[in-house]
Amino acid sequence: MPCGQGRHIVRWDAGQLWLPEHPDAEAELVLAALGGEKAGCVVLAETWGRHTSDLSVLAVGSRGPADEIVVSWEDVEAVAQAGQRGGAAGFAGLRRPALRRLAVPPAAAAGHSARQRQMEQEMDRAAERRNDILSLHALGYGFAVRLAGQVAAAHADSADATARPALVAAITGRLALVAEQWLGIDPDQVDEVSLHYGPGWGRAELTGKEGGRRLRVSLPASWLARVWACGLALTGGHLVVAVDRAGWPDARVLALRAPGDEPVLLDVHAHHYDGRDGPADAPHWEV
Amino acid sequence: MTGTSARVRAVVPGPGRGHTEGMNREGAETHLRLLTEAELRGPMAPARRQPWAGPGGSTTRLTAVAQALTAVHALDHDTVEDILADFDLAVSLRQRADRYTSGPVGAAVPRPGRLVFPSPGMLAMRSRLAAPSPGEPARSPEQGPGPGPGGPDRLVPVGLTVPYRDEDLSGEMFLMAFAHTAAGARFTMVWQTHSVHDPEYGAPVHPGLLPFERFTVTDNRGGRYHLNFARSGGPEWAGDVSLRPEPPDDISWLDISAPGGPVVRVVLDPGAAPAAGRTEPPVSETKLSPGEHLLVMLAEQLLTVAPEFPHDLRMQLAAISPGPLHTMATGMGDVIAALEAADVLSPLSPVPGRLAAVCAGMRVSGHGITAPPAQDLPEPWLSLLAHYQRRKPDTAPVHDGYAAVATALPELDGIRLALLGLLNTDGGSWLQVLARGLDPKTPETPRGPFGIDTYFPLSVWIRDSGGRWHACRPAGWHRHNGEYVLKLQLVPPLTRSTDWIEVLAAGPSAQVRVRLPLRWGYLH
Repeated sequence: MPCGQGRHIVRWDAGQLWLPEHPDAEAELVLAALGGEKAGCVVLAETWGRHTSDLSVLAVGSRGPADEIVVSWEDVEAVAQAGQRGGAAGFAGLRRPALRRLAVPPAAAAGHSARQRQMEQEMDRAAERRNDILSLHALGYGFAVRLAGQVAAAHADSADATARPALVAAITGRLALVAEQWLGIDPDQVDEVSLHYGPGWGRAELTGKEGGRRLRVSLPASWLARVWACGLALTGGHLVVAVDRAGWPDARVLALRAPGDEPVLLDVHAHHYDGRDGPADAPHWEV
Repeated sequence: MTGTSARVRAVVPGPGRGHTEGMNREGAETHLRLLTEAELRGPMAPARRQPWAGPGGSTTRLTAVAQALTAVHALDHDTVEDILADFDLAVSLRQRADRYTSGPVGAAVPRPGRLVFPSPGMLAMRSRLAAPSPGEPARSPEQGPGPGPGGPDRLVPVGLTVPYRDEDLSGEMFLMAFAHTAAGARFTMVWQTHSVHDPEYGAPVHPGLLPFERFTVTDNRGGRYHLNFARSGGPEWAGDVSLRPEPPDDISWLDISAPGGPVVRVVLDPGAAPAAGRTEPPVSETKLSPGEHLLVMLAEQLLTVAPEFPHDLRMQLAAISPGPLHTMATGMGDVIAALEAADVLSPLSPVPGRLAAVCAGMRVSGHGITAPPAQDLPEPWLSLLAHYQRRKPDTAPVHDGYAAVATALPELDGIRLALLGLLNTDGGSWLQVLARGLDPKTPETPRGPFGIDTYFPLSVWIRDSGGRWHACRPAGWHRHNGEYVLKLQLVPPLTRSTDWIEVLAAGPSAQVRVRLPLRWGYLH
């Protein structure tokens, strides 16, 4: 990624973002707080940190290799500059900022002013959020899916029920594309997805025939982090439902050959991929 | 997209966090999020080779569902805005023409394409989920002598004409009713003006505001008042005039003196007022779920919007496009599915079938309602459908006339209505209403799915003395100290000066019927 006058390497490893060329990022942050310039890599690391539990990442980001989102650093810069100029309606248009309710209804004149300020603050937050998301996607597909995995992992074991709708939708949207390749069904035929809790991996069943087929699946929220984000979802013609032994480049997974079958253990191997049919940095596994 | 995508079902654990007040809020949010997932597969079209009309091209259903779930309070505005904002961003990120160009991902080299973003807040704006305006105080500090909040109202039918004349204009003001409530005292009225310089003197001049500042009003105790005019939709020559300062609540009469005209006394003594309306009519239960009530409003919206598209125009438009009513009905099936997911509509409810019957009766297709059309339509709906199905439904309306009405209806689901006049003018008919108990956080541009006025969540019908039913839909309002003065437009308009009307007002849990004799007055 661009950083200062040059380009730096950013690495994600074992659930963390690393900045090899900024070994003392903490010190750089202190200097920045004292008025120094903040390095681009450090800014990005902060951005990453702001979104590691942000469920919007799941709603916005890629649903799989067939849904690659390409954002260049030039795009990021252009959008940021347009936002600073103030006009940029085309870029600011991602969201009409939600004008949250005020706790205390103000008097009419003061209320107008307060609402104006509130709207400006909401617009600023919306612009920051938009720029954040763009920056994170400029890192490429490989980083984007790993961030999605981190977000899912942050909520997978949480008792916070407010995350459930977003997690169900995230699994559904991703599983629908996987099911299209796995079973040759229309993604819209993924009819029912629920979160699996407790022991076991969940369930998957296919009902109906031809155009009336319906896939019903129950998977734990951790499937997003442990399977999908690792690029394991469809491996060797099987739907991977769980990871039995994690590792790189060799791992052992629990997988279904067909809905309704008993899952089998598969030893899988990761290798580098030439990117002909999708993102070059998408993980690729074979049995 | 296929229709099946809308039927993706949310499987939500039983009663838990999401179940409050009989609603499955978690199910509602999950359903909306699943719908965004289905809609988002459109922008993935280059990979999946499916047509996608771009932002706004296929989101009618999404917008309608979001508005419906908000209207029944299964989701709050903020949650919906966040979901739609994420959807906006997700669509925008996928709108590149060169998204499958080769080259290293994330490279800093210039690319021929640029991210294409839609117009500001495209989806959230379309959803019209405008932020609510702050609530108003129930009573302004300067108010003093009138009935307090919750106190007894004073509603008096008037039916008097106040003539006036000056060097330029002459005319009349017809007072329909007097209402003194917690928000203040006011007359509902219409007026007509004529220019004395016009060679065709006698023809009304519209609009021509009366010189209210030259009117004087006094009460039996010598108190003097000014008149402040305010419109509430409908014809420009109708509205209400409030008295400033607010009079005491026990005055016996008001004398109104207009320039060049006689003093007209309005007797407010309840003992001298007609008996009509002073006994509250009985309330009966309706037991509609919030989802059913929304669908009822939706059906009535469909029934009442037809006059905006005259029959001939509907036929012409239908020949070149699906037609305006078809467009309006798009997504009704999705709304029904969403309401079921939120547990505010039973899968066994008869209302979706009735809505399908209305669509069928109006030859509207593409609504996506899977329930077969029902046979047991409410009598008012059948009456209106029969009106449309007549070969010449647009019969000539009655001459201008104004009926003095002043009746308070019992509270319906927290809303109290007072009927303060009926107008036949300019080819239309309107019911003047005072409403208390509407949501004080009503957004400034309140719209539910399919254009429903969700700020007025009641169904109001009028049956005339000829047995025909007329739907009453909000046509404008103004708010004053927490009370709303509304004009409800009658669809179709009255076609003769009916001697009485039967008013049927219904909320989700209760309804009331009241028969009112009418005294018509006319302006010359």
